[in-house]
Amino acid sequence: MSGSAGLDVRWPIGGLFSVLGLMLTGYGIATSGNAEQYQRSLALNVNLWWGLVLLVFGAALLLGARAGRRPTGVRPALDTPEGQATEAREHRLELER
Amino acid sequence: MSAAPVVQLAPIDYAVMATYFVAVLGVGWGLRRVMRTSTDFFLSGRSLSPWITGLAFISANLGAQEVIGMGASGAKYGIATSHFYWVGAIPAMVFVGLFMMPFYYGSRARSVPEYLRLRFDEKTRTLNAVSFAVMTVFSSGVSMYAMGKLMNLLLGWSFDVSIVVSACIVLSYILLGGLTSAIYNEVLQFFLIVFGFAPLVGLGLRAVGGWQGLSARLSEVAATRGLPADAYTHAWTNLDSAAHNPVGVEWFGLVAGLGFVLSFGYWCTDFLVVQRAMAADSMTAARRTPLIAAVPKMLFPFLVILPGMIALVLGGAGGSGQGLVPAKLAADGAPLLDGAGRAVLDYDLATPMMLVHLFPSGMLGLGVTALLASFMSGMAGNVTAFNTVWTYDIYQSHIRRGASDAHYLWMGRIATVGGVVLALGAAYVAGAFNNIMDLLQLVFAFVNAPLFATFALGMFWRRSTGHGAFGGLLAGTLAAAVHHGLTLPAGTQVGVKGGYLGVLHTYPSELAQTFWTAIVAWVTCFVVTVVVSLATRPRPAEELRGLVYSLTARPTDEALPWIRRPATLALAVLVLTLALNLVFF
Repeated sequence: MSGSAGLDVRWPIGGLFSVLGLMLTGYGIATSGNAEQYQRSLALNVNLWWGLVLLVFGAALLLGARAGRRPTGVRPALDTPEGQATEAREHRLELER
Repeated sequence: MSAAPVVQLAPIDYAVMATYFVAVLGVGWGLRRVMRTSTDFFLSGRSLSPWITGLAFISANLGAQEVIGMGASGAKYGIATSHFYWVGAIPAMVFVGLFMMPFYYGSRARSVPEYLRLRFDEKTRTLNAVSFAVMTVFSSGVSMYAMGKLMNLLLGWSFDVSIVVSACIVLSYILLGGLTSAIYNEVLQFFLIVFGFAPLVGLGLRAVGGWQGLSARLSEVAATRGLPADAYTHAWTNLDSAAHNPVGVEWFGLVAGLGFVLSFGYWCTDFLVVQRAMAADSMTAARRTPLIAAVPKMLFPFLVILPGMIALVLGGAGGSGQGLVPAKLAADGAPLLDGAGRAVLDYDLATPMMLVHLFPSGMLGLGVTALLASFMSGMAGNVTAFNTVWTYDIYQSHIRRGASDAHYLWMGRIATVGGVVLALGAAYVAGAFNNIMDLLQLVFAFVNAPLFATFALGMFWRRSTGHGAFGGLLAGTLAAAVHHGLTLPAGTQVGVKGGYLGVLHTYPSELAQTFWTAIVAWVTCFVVTVVVSLATRPRPAEELRGLVYSLTARPTDEALPWIRRPATLALAVLVLTLALNLVFF
């Protein structure tokens, strides 16, 4: 079994959402006095509030990745009980290539 | 296409978009060293966890035609569009996970056509591989065309630049990191689409006074079209007759055509989605992939259909029954009118107009980026499925056998470029239908509808033979074309919509015709496969081990705690789907 990528998918996703969150939050703060701009969104500063939501989501993923519990990104099949069971069954049934 | 754009993006919007581009390319770059063998490139080395493959499974399907098309259908048909999810997806996803994945994953086939090779014969595989490859390029092109046109109309971007740039980004990250890169980015795109559209739904509902307000306003729209007041807000109540609901179908056609034939044909046999499950790291993970995917799929109607429904009642022209949805324009610039003198609406613009109407700069960038993300996830799904089928099922089996693995890895990269170029070509050829979804459903009806009969018989009836499968597929596709050629939806002209062999029957709507075309194709394929199989020599049981239900050991889940067994998850998904149907009955 090849293919251990070693890249936890939470890093790029957490990184992207953290950066997007910071951008939107910052932009929301900078434009908070501009009532005209937020008329569209029913007088709600969506940049600020949704930016914070993105930031929390992104940071949570980054923390999860950093905590370095077993990476959910890529793990070799043979590390898991069901992977071992599958391999054993395939061996028994002679389905291997 | 030279009219003034609907909206101008601000620098912050472009900054959001650029950040996304950097992230997807970064994923490809981060994975570039992992692609050593063709299995790494085409199947991610069968090493991914079910959460990743599950989200990719759903994201590859969540292309632009889904986001735009389902919003369009939401505006056109109302909440009944959720049948595409709760009837037309969830049951089939549960079925493929529980009952079919053991054969796909267990047989170690590298693609769906290759399973057909193992189970039946070379000609059946080739027929499936070629039609799949063509369909993949075609649907990728259709979606690319729609995206380019939309970006031009909405933002004033050049059609050519928008499709070429997005195609090049997708191409780069697949070339760098193969299927793993596509799958990782599909997970990323999944979250981006969810986070881009969720606030749209929130703001939209707030603007119309919640579900109550939306129902009240939609009942006024229904009245102007001569439909029952609850036609847009109830999924089942008005399905007794095609004339009572905006979809124009009755319940049997819907359940049998969409819920059984089309849905099982797509979710259970389409390599685009099955490939994601094949990349999982174990049999249990492969079986859980579609089941995990079913959970977000079940909730997507709220994300993609509601914006379309809200668009119909929002905005200045409230009483006109078209809301934010603009009318289609004839060549002379006047609005197009249908037979009854009502404006023909450009439903595909329902969701994009919502973005423009409700999002200020900043969020608008996020919304447009979510649209681009949906487009790219669909395209990457098509390209990775295409390059695999081309390399394994066409190139390796017909053009060059027995070459080194490095050669096939090289061919895979060439096929990736070729697939993108062909799709770009198809994009320029595409465009004629009011609703992209109808067109795609029609193509699926011809090619995919007979497919599920072939797979069902192949997996669950050991007597079925290669000649039977091949004959059944041809007969089914032919039957679909003949049925389509002999019928016509009400209010349309003979031509691409049907009737080209003479009009024997008129359906109340295009969807009704599509569903019945699928039913006819499926039944024909089933009958022909059975008859031809009985007349030809069966393969010995020894050769069918691991490929047919009665000759394969059942996957055992006893080693897992009950909560993690696929069957438990499947049951939970079905109960929740039933509950949603009852809530919106």
